[in-house]
Amino acid sequence: MIRRTLTAAGLVLFAASVVLPLVWVAVTSLKSSPEIFASPWSLPADLRWANYARAWREAGIARCFTNSLIVTTATLAILLPVGSMAAYVFARYPFRGARWLFGAFLGGMMFPLFLTIVPLFLLLRDLALLDSLEGLTLVYVAYSLPFTVFVMTGFFHTLPQELLEAAMIDGCGHVSAFLRVMLPLARPGLIVVGIFNAIGLWNEYPLALVIAVSEEIRTLPLGIANLMMMEHYQSDWGALFAGLVIVMGPVLAVYWAFRDRIHDTMVAGALKG
Amino acid sequence: MSPSSRRGLFVAGFLAPAVVLYGMFVVWPVAEAFAFSLYRWRGVSEHRTFVGLDNFVRLGSDPVFRQALGHNLVFLLVGGTAIMALGLAIAHAVHGSGRGPRALRGVYLFPQIISGVVVAILWMFIYNPSFGILNGSLKALGLDALALDWLGTPRTALPALVVTFVWHGVGFYIMLFSAGLRTIPVEVHEAALLDGVSGLRRFVSITLPMLWAVMRVAMVYVVIGALNVFALVFLMTVGGPDRRTETMLTYLYEQAFKNSEFGYATALAVANFVIVMLLAGLVMALFRRNPQDARA
Repeated sequence: MIRRTLTAAGLVLFAASVVLPLVWVAVTSLKSSPEIFASPWSLPADLRWANYARAWREAGIARCFTNSLIVTTATLAILLPVGSMAAYVFARYPFRGARWLFGAFLGGMMFPLFLTIVPLFLLLRDLALLDSLEGLTLVYVAYSLPFTVFVMTGFFHTLPQELLEAAMIDGCGHVSAFLRVMLPLARPGLIVVGIFNAIGLWNEYPLALVIAVSEEIRTLPLGIANLMMMEHYQSDWGALFAGLVIVMGPVLAVYWAFRDRIHDTMVAGALKG
Repeated sequence: MSPSSRRGLFVAGFLAPAVVLYGMFVVWPVAEAFAFSLYRWRGVSEHRTFVGLDNFVRLGSDPVFRQALGHNLVFLLVGGTAIMALGLAIAHAVHGSGRGPRALRGVYLFPQIISGVVVAILWMFIYNPSFGILNGSLKALGLDALALDWLGTPRTALPALVVTFVWHGVGFYIMLFSAGLRTIPVEVHEAALLDGVSGLRRFVSITLPMLWAVMRVAMVYVVIGALNVFALVFLMTVGGPDRRTETMLTYLYEQAFKNSEFGYATALAVANFVIVMLLAGLVMALFRRNPQDARA
């Protein structure tokens, strides 16, 4: 009995340590700067929604938000077709060297990003893709491929082979069997992989830090980090906290809506070995 | 066209976009990284000199690199141990009890789901000396003497970062261990209960051995995570004060993008990669044998 109470208390404490700081950010985003300074714990006297307006317009969060939206959407628009095409071949069309090539893709899930960061920076510079949303998008596609190919290959494996054969007997070619029969069946997999990648891309920091140099192409994580440094001088903390909510709000909402499927995908990806 | 060449064309065509993108932006830079690490190369000019393993020799005697590696090992040993212990304890507690856990399961991944940048800024405000909630709480409890400038004091900066590292990472491990616990058949626990084995003994002699494979994978992730910590340190302390929180990757960033020491920075990246691989291999080897097999 005592043990059970202690366990429950521990779990509540842990949950509080996770949730309270996030609630604190949300509450603080509605306070004025003097209030934040004077009483960090108190609730706001009036709700300062103007913090959000200032973050959005004056602090440049609108620009960053748009950039993040563009890069995330464009990456998914390339990644999902390219990744599922490769995954489909790996799952359904055994060929010589397939295991080796598949292994090369999976290896990318274990490579630390920073191993490639200098060569990647120089490569993009030479291709005139540095400091552009296009460059960032292509790099994001490439670095998201391992996980995407891995999960989608697993998904295509689960689809019955008979369906493919039936489609071929009905006169479908390889391409149309994929487009008309297999891809529609793989939609649940695509949705999970898409959401999972979208969250990671929305949050991504180190690659963006190196690739997106100038202000006009900053993504949200860069924008908010920059705002943090600027507010040391300007001290508009309310706007900064509003910016934090703008960055994490959409992600938490999407996560909450799909949490069970995201959870299962993460487990599958993490325990592949 | 024959069916087999049509098939071949299809396979090649469907693989090509992925292979080109992955080859160009991942595989090729990896290969280049190993080559670059053998050159002395200061950014702006195209001029580079082959120096063999000189960069690695220089790394070995670079006091900042050694210090940075030491800090990464603190993240690994202190932070990693805390993550494994907390992760196991919480996963176990969640698994054992009834209703609450479903709600908790949604919550514990929050820190993992939000951007590392948000986590860093959030914790900068928790530690903020003038209006952070940590010092606010300490002062409210009358412990004014303990209200320090946590990130600005050499003695406390690294521990403060390690705490944030644990907070940020532990959810992932709770998730792994929970998944592992679910694979243990209920019958095993029932049998143990019938034999009168319960509590801590059941955990040590039954649960832990059955979680062995998951624990091993988890430890490899801990190694990778602790040796590749970047955003938290870069944003919260930039390696300071006085390099007291410098880590391998923050130092790499400084060498590459502040000093334009591309050759040296890449050698650092290769060294980091090799150290990660060695430690991960060591973990795999040390924990290869499942204690359960030994008994059987």
